[in-house]
Amino acid sequence: MKVLKWWWGILLAFLLLGAARIFLPLPFANEIIIFSIYTMGCNFLLGRVGFISFGQPAYLAVGAYATAFYLYYFGTNPYIGILLGIGVGLVVSAIVGAFFVRLRSDYFALVNLALAVIIFYLMEKVLAKITHGDNGLWFLANMSSTPVLNLGKPGDFFIFIFLVAMALWAFYKYLDDSLFGACCLGTKINEDKLRFLGYSNYSIRWMAFIIANTTTALAGSLYAVYFGFVSPAITHPARAADPVVVTILGGVGTLYGPIVGSIAYTGMKDLLSGFIANWELFIGLLLVFIMLAGEKGIWGTLDPYLKKAFYRKGTVPK
Amino acid sequence: MMSPHTEFAAMNNSEILVVKDLNVSYGESKVLFDANLSVKPGQVVSCVGRNGAGKTTLLKTIGGFLKPTSGSIIFNHTNLIGIRPYDIARMGLKYIPQDKRVFSDLTVRENLELGSYATRDYNWEQVTSLFPRLKSLMDHKGGYLSGGERQMLMIGRAILGNPKVLLIDEPTEGLAPSIVEQLKNVFKELSKKTALVIVEQNLSLVCAISAKVYAIKEGRVVTEISDEESIRSNICEQYL
Amino acid sequence: MDTQLLISGVIFGLSIGSIFFLLAIGLSLCFGLMRIISLDQLLYYSVGAYLTYTIHVATGNTWLGVLGGMVAAGLVSFGVERFVFLRIYERDITFTMITSFGILFAGIGAIKYIWGLIPRPVPVPIDAQLQILGTGVPLYRLVVIVISFLVYFGIWLFLNRTITGKAIRAGIEDVEHVEGLGINVYKLFTITFIIAGILSGLAGGLHSSLIMVDPQMGLEVLAFVFMVVIIGGLGSIKGTLASAFIVGQVVSLGSLVYAPLAQMAPFATMLLILLIKPTGLYGSKLLKR
Repeated sequence: MKVLKWWWGILLAFLLLGAARIFLPLPFANEIIIFSIYTMGCNFLLGRVGFISFGQPAYLAVGAYATAFYLYYFGTNPYIGILLGIGVGLVVSAIVGAFFVRLRSDYFALVNLALAVIIFYLMEKVLAKITHGDNGLWFLANMSSTPVLNLGKPGDFFIFIFLVAMALWAFYKYLDDSLFGACCLGTKINEDKLRFLGYSNYSIRWMAFIIANTTTALAGSLYAVYFGFVSPAITHPARAADPVVVTILGGVGTLYGPIVGSIAYTGMKDLLSGFIANWELFIGLLLVFIMLAGEKGIWGTLDPYLKKAFYRKGTVPK
Repeated sequence: MMSPHTEFAAMNNSEILVVKDLNVSYGESKVLFDANLSVKPGQVVSCVGRNGAGKTTLLKTIGGFLKPTSGSIIFNHTNLIGIRPYDIARMGLKYIPQDKRVFSDLTVRENLELGSYATRDYNWEQVTSLFPRLKSLMDHKGGYLSGGERQMLMIGRAILGNPKVLLIDEPTEGLAPSIVEQLKNVFKELSKKTALVIVEQNLSLVCAISAKVYAIKEGRVVTEISDEESIRSNICEQYL
Repeated sequence: MDTQLLISGVIFGLSIGSIFFLLAIGLSLCFGLMRIISLDQLLYYSVGAYLTYTIHVATGNTWLGVLGGMVAAGLVSFGVERFVFLRIYERDITFTMITSFGILFAGIGAIKYIWGLIPRPVPVPIDAQLQILGTGVPLYRLVVIVISFLVYFGIWLFLNRTITGKAIRAGIEDVEHVEGLGINVYKLFTITFIIAGILSGLAGGLHSSLIMVDPQMGLEVLAFVFMVVIIGGLGSIKGTLASAFIVGQVVSLGSLVYAPLAQMAPFATMLLILLIKPTGLYGSKLLKR
């Protein structure tokens, strides 16, 4: 029974997305899905482990550049490029995470942002010979067409990332219900107690860090393949706000938060940038407002009402 | 639900602090159930009970550091619910925590200065007459004091401003017997002016100074013993 | 490496370190007392710089501009403290960090709206050069270094000689105990926050004539200020001073050896120090509250 219920939830979300595919322009739909994959990692870290990272663009760039290097210099198959992005993301976040998760949550946030800035400079200046600096790497023409789902075609690409996102949602849902998910919440709420129970906070956080940032790297790879272009702008410190804002906007720690937040954020950005050139003012005020209004975000606020509407009285699951 | 007026009317005029039906929770878990407590001016009241019974929670809530879910705390005809801890302290109800941490980077003099700064009471005579030892330590940093000296300083800086009630959490925990003996006399001396609510594990001290004893078990006040004869027979003879 | 280059490099590093110190000290004090990470300090830094520019354009006097920048930064920080932070001090650190990030972001938007996107120049108020061992050193950079040391001693005096300062030091150790004595800690919080804001404004004003003033300037120093705070240890004043000058020198001398090192070397230094001591040079181990 329990299994059925959350499958229904996910199916519903994807029906909405399918409807989005029909009613929304394709680039917009694509952007929303990649963005929500990007946000899942941040959402997991903040909502489940209690670590806020202002350095998510760093891991996004790791995945994007791994894919870009492969497609620009070595190969033509975008699938291999994406796999490579995931692999490199896994390795980098495992190495970096081993150092970072030892830190207190405040230091953690600062160190991650510093890392994003460093990677920005690394890609823009230090490795300019390989990355072509601000001009970026263009490899859209290099990508060969692939059987079944041709990632070069936006329509096929949409179906592909749709499936990827669905798998990730199921995966994160599974994590939430598993013992590991409980342990993650444990490190967030009371790390001493968890230690007394015989779990290592360090390895739980490390695993969570790797999972979250490999997801982020995957989003980076998808960006790279989608645009056929990667430049250091992807990890500019000014972009560090994006995943945090979307996470908060959608609702921290909720399963549907990332998708709801992404739709709202991308939609707003598109709408607003038509009217005002500097939408930072608006985004910043919105962030402060949501935090002061109880930090529940859109999904967190809607959730109780939706549950009331969908379940009969007295059967509302917790 | 009683209106504030009836609450005041119900309160005995001779009592300085009355805690009524206090409930406290940490998030989901409830730690204090309908706690009641009353203190007369100059009375020494002790709370005994095992670790985790809710004694510290009770004191912290009275001091304003924790918000109760329901109940009232009437101190000197004022309901303390919702008042900030520093205002409660200024009104003359001070909480001395059990951690025995004075400001380690500040000297003894600076520690006392802060006590005076808050209450505008610069009469340090009362402190040094109770704790002559502090006189010679004035320029030592708090971090270099022994546990007993730190406890003296914590009580010393709290009695500035002549508080009407002192809430003292486990004052003798981990201290040498000679210092416990000294503190016993200090408490007797203090109780001439100030009511004391003491959470204590040392039952011989409790018997020696208390006019009333509350036993707290699993978040509930289970017994109240208020005549000295019963205190002696119920606690001291049973446990000592 | 010849001596002339080395001397000007060291002076450059010291002056950059001074700016970092002025910025980081506010962050560090706010963390120590209120347990918040006030990313919005970088907004007050930009405000200080922009006011310096505007007042310089109006009056032709850069020093007056720096002063005006400090006042403006103090006022803005006071407003933010009143309307936002006063409501959220009790919340956990990630909460205040996200909120302050929102403020910083909104502020950058507001600056773009008021002053536009184009970087603005501010002339150096002192043109003179000083000869040190045969090397011409801009006097202004030396003045910046002297100002930062004066600020350090001013803060030291404030914290050690005034009762408010002593209460702040006590609060850095344990806010609950200070509150238990009957001291209104929120007044201390406000004072500390405004001091931090004014110092950030001073940093912006002094830095404005060494760089171009542009809306993203706060984000550009962000990483360096973080590294200073992390290396020094959050909440430690001594540590902040030491690490500000370490980072300043690493940036300056690193770039003499190989230009891109300016960004990479401090990061490597930070990782190294965090490997040895996860709370920075002087950071305290326990995080109460």
